Amino acid sequence: MIDQVVKLIRKPGLQIDENTSLVSSGLIDSMALVDLLIKLEDITHLRIPAGKVQPKDMNTVALMFATAQRVGKPRK
Amino acid sequence: MLDCTRGRKTFAGRTRKEAEAKLPVTTKYRTLVDALLSAAADKPFVTAWIDEDEQETATFGAFRRMAQTQAVLLKDNGVAPGDRVVLIMPQGIPLMATFVGAMLLGAVPAILAYPNFKVEPSKYRFGLAGVTANLHAKVVVIDSDFPDDLLGHVSLGDARLLRAAEAGVSGGGADLAEPGNGPESLAFIQHSAGTTGLQKGVALTHAAVLRHLEHLSAVLSIDERDIVYSWLPLYHDMGLIACFILPMVCHLHVVMQSPLDWVMHPDTMLQIFTDYKCSMAWLPNFTFQFVPRRTPKERWPNYDLSSARALINCSEPVRASSMNEFHTAFAPCGLSRSALQASYAMAENVFAVTQSGIRGKLGPEVIWADGQRFRAEHFIAPVPEGSPGSVSFTSSGELLPDNRVQIVSDSGEVLKSGYVGEIAIQSDSLFQGYYNRPDLTEKAIRDGWYYTGDLGFYLDDELYVVGRKKDLLIIGGENIYPQDIEEIVSSHAAIHDGRAIALGVFSPDLGTEDIVVVAEVEKEELLQQADEIEREIRSNVVASMGVAVRSIFLKPPKWIVKSTAGKAARSTTREKLLKEHPELAVET
Repeated sequence: MIDQVVKLIRKPGLQIDENTSLVSSGLIDSMALVDLLIKLEDITHLRIPAGKVQPKDMNTVALMFATAQRVGKPRK
Repeated sequence: MLDCTRGRKTFAGRTRKEAEAKLPVTTKYRTLVDALLSAAADKPFVTAWIDEDEQETATFGAFRRMAQTQAVLLKDNGVAPGDRVVLIMPQGIPLMATFVGAMLLGAVPAILAYPNFKVEPSKYRFGLAGVTANLHAKVVVIDSDFPDDLLGHVSLGDARLLRAAEAGVSGGGADLAEPGNGPESLAFIQHSAGTTGLQKGVALTHAAVLRHLEHLSAVLSIDERDIVYSWLPLYHDMGLIACFILPMVCHLHVVMQSPLDWVMHPDTMLQIFTDYKCSMAWLPNFTFQFVPRRTPKERWPNYDLSSARALINCSEPVRASSMNEFHTAFAPCGLSRSALQASYAMAENVFAVTQSGIRGKLGPEVIWADGQRFRAEHFIAPVPEGSPGSVSFTSSGELLPDNRVQIVSDSGEVLKSGYVGEIAIQSDSLFQGYYNRPDLTEKAIRDGWYYTGDLGFYLDDELYVVGRKKDLLIIGGENIYPQDIEEIVSSHAAIHDGRAIALGVFSPDLGTEDIVVVAEVEKEELLQQADEIEREIRSNVVASMGVAVRSIFLKPPKWIVKSTAGKAARSTTREKLLKEHPELAVET
């Protein structure tokens, strides 16, 4: 997931970890969040109801996984 | 004698006889509420499609009970006839039931956008504060999950904040006294499409909405067999009128999903059509490209679109190429060519002004015109398809009954057929003015005509919308429609389709505007070939339009700012570009 985030951020040499703030720091475009959410579904094998997700839920990679666990539904 | 009319298709799969069997809604009902109350209790009304495993359906009877419960709750909170009730809830049946609950009381509901992860919180707060303040609402109903950090930005004034309660738990059978709803009472307020902060409230009476739905259901030959599919948000006219109020009044089943769920999984639209045998949908132009491009081809054989009789492209300008792409992709799934239709619609007219495929025509007209005369004389001189230097336009169809249009020049002169100017409309469902905004009303309605701000022309009974007036670029006295340049730029293989913006930037040296293009490349890596791509784009634009672009800025994916409706937002993108490239911002 961190690799995905790095790809989307497009700032060469930038180091991020699972607690780096992405949305509130302006590092990540809110539109890119759709692609991240799709990636998150793939990685976690969960269906994530997008309507239950707010920008703050996607602020760090750690929060993304917590959000997936909180609102995600197992996929058949 | 041969009866040629028998069995003739009048609109996408309906025979004339069937079309005539439609029910006149205005003569039948006094108010929208009356229309809802007269529906058969066991007929399905709304299906909220959450995902493949979870769907919830409310029949008309169940929906009425939910709405009544909400009416009781609102009444208990002091809501009286005429009061504005603002609803900020996610897409779904509870939102719709609360909306109708307010109407049952004779109150005036308005739906505002619910915050989501795609919208910048700062932008959302700005829009919310402005719009809620203007409505002077008695009550603001927010969803129980509404984020606390945004709560401070709901402008309450004297309004009371209510957390939405689950519909159907309490109250149920409580009788509501006849609220005194009449045909001329306000039914609801809808907001014009636009960037959130600048949305304008359009208040509509029951009678105006019913008159409109009468026209719309007649030209579309709607009857109770129709099933509407929708992913459209309910805070825009297309979602609210076409996919909620129309089904409510005409007693249709509507299957809806949230815009966010759709954008993440666009193939779900095809699945829903297949599972529910939907017959109609209203879709913005980009959907017709987005769905085939973002849906895995190996799944296409699983879909059945043979039930679709009208997929109405309802965003301006309509692009024939987008509709062709959709049709080519899904014709093997049974999609009929005649299902692809177009409409020109706006909140100020309740909804549609025109509709294609009516009065015996098959679909939107596509015409080719001399590009030079179009730009220099603002005149449409038809030429054979694909002629060198030609431009093509797709119509939005013919006028609905009791709708009139005139095309007006900048100097206020009414133009003849074939000339391009601002589209002004009149109708029997036109709004009276923007809610609490006489200043905006005065600018928009003049001599009984509503000036739409859209540019277009009227030819052979068809209306063609070519762009927004304020977007027009004037280069050396020649009118250039940024959409034309954007289409050429977008057609370059390295550029993400639909992610190009052409702007006019004043050049003091030339005393006129210069064209500046900003476009997103498909993949970041392509930026390494920027020089070559720019060169190709420049020569493409010159070859097709005869004008030169001053600067081209190639940007990585996702750089261009999008509006709430998902279109590239020109003015916001302009600001962003000028901020990054201050050398462009020259005082004019």
